[in-house]
Amino acid sequence: MWFVRFISSSIGKKIVMATTGLLLVLFLFTHAAGNATIFMSSEVFQDYANELHSHPLIVLVFSFSLLLIFLAHIVAGLYLFFENREESKSRYVVTTRVVENSFASRTMPYTGLFILLFLLVHIMGFTFSPEDVLISVTVKELLGNFFYSFFYIAAFIALFIHLSHGFWSMLQTFGVNHPRYNVFISRLTILIPLFFLLIFGGVALYFMTGLGANY
Amino acid sequence: MSSIDLTLKIWRQPNSDSLGSLETYTLNGVNTDMSFLEMLDVLNENLTKEGKDPVAFDHDCREGICGMCGAVVNGVAHGPEKEVTLCQLHMRHFSTGDVLVIEPFRSRAYPIKKDLLVDRSALDRIIQSGGYVSVNTGGTPDGNSLPISSQQAELAMDAAACIGCGACVASCPNGAAMLFTSAKISQLALLPQGQVERKQRALAMVAQMDKEGFGNCTNAKECEAVCPKGISIRNIARLNREYVKAVLSEG
Ligand code: HEM
Ligand code: FES
Repeated sequence: MWFVRFISSSIGKKIVMATTGLLLVLFLFTHAAGNATIFMSSEVFQDYANELHSHPLIVLVFSFSLLLIFLAHIVAGLYLFFENREESKSRYVVTTRVVENSFASRTMPYTGLFILLFLLVHIMGFTFSPEDVLISVTVKELLGNFFYSFFYIAAFIALFIHLSHGFWSMLQTFGVNHPRYNVFISRLTILIPLFFLLIFGGVALYFMTGLGANY
Repeated sequence: MSSIDLTLKIWRQPNSDSLGSLETYTLNGVNTDMSFLEMLDVLNENLTKEGKDPVAFDHDCREGICGMCGAVVNGVAHGPEKEVTLCQLHMRHFSTGDVLVIEPFRSRAYPIKKDLLVDRSALDRIIQSGGYVSVNTGGTPDGNSLPISSQQAELAMDAAACIGCGACVASCPNGAAMLFTSAKISQLALLPQGQVERKQRALAMVAQMDKEGFGNCTNAKECEAVCPKGISIRNIARLNREYVKAVLSEG
């Protein structure tokens, strides 16, 4: 079938990576917007959470779609990683990378796996938190712990690095590469990950430093 | 005329089936006006006089247009200078005391035949699968009957500058042949003559590329950085578009 041939081709797998990557970025925008209510007050945040969970069907459909997207992204990513490692291991006696700033592109699978570890911790902590405690209280309790927040900030830095190659790479995979827009794209490739780092990292820092003690 | 003294560590491998290893040679008094290949010629002359097996390496035009030469010098395909082939790299870019590690272009799809000589016929098979236009015989069409904008012609020409040396594959951390394939697809997709077989071509060439065992592109950009002809990864973006369009509407 054409679709099977497509996603098993080298370019098809990249398109799967890029499409799921784009959907994950879009999800992060909505998630960042919701979390930013924390900076307003615990009541606003609690209202947002209550509103969200008063529509259980939406939450369920969204969560499952997100799970599928993540799984596709991770499975395709790890598949590419192992297939490519077959090629690159024990290749040259001397290997020199000519491209400057190749750190992010070289570490995509590792920053990705670190994000996965974070996700597991994050979901354990918040999605499956005790039902009888308000989520705004759980947030403050968990992130008030220095090491917990520290781990969160480390994961957001990994996300920053992942996206500082990933966002550009996604557009390149989609075939978007034109001299007129390339400077703009390279700025977005820093600004969008930076935005996520500031919002998500900001929330963690807010509680870590005690600024959010009276929230 | 100045000259330099070098230590060369060259990959020696008698044939495809044997294990290779690096051999060390000292080469003194290398004329800096020589090209890299001429330097290897001098080494081979010495080896021959000593009754040893000369280093096998590929070459033909020695003027940077045929795409036959190439080796990895200190980890960089075609050596440290930008946009030159190994035959056009001159020894004036090196200095006395340099240690040069010279290895063959490597990829799962490039079996080593001997020393620095590799079999790159996988690239030929990608071309054979669709990198052509079929023209029926008949009268020669008038040159001006197919208008092509100069911008389009320039882009096609940029892609057609690819000499098929395969350094892109050798430098790609994943051993992908995307830059090569994308240049060969672009040079035809951009011109009116290439339209008839456009979709078939994209499908067939990508299928062949995958079948040969080349790796997956992860947009690491190393290919573009070592390409002796400065082929841009903009061609890879075009290849991605060509392939997706073809797969959605054909086959
Ligand atoms: C859950 C763990 C994750 C893993 C294991 C992972 C792994 C990977 C891998 C291996 C790649 C391919 C890199 C390459 O082609 O060089 C990749 C690309 C990408 N990832 Fe992730 N990732 C994860 C999470 C995320 C998240 C949360 C986002 C977005 C918010 C994201 C966005 C992207 C984007 C945009 C790309 C670029 C796609 C492309 O190259 O075409 N990833 N990821
Ligand atoms: S020998 Fe022809 S390009 Fe180097």
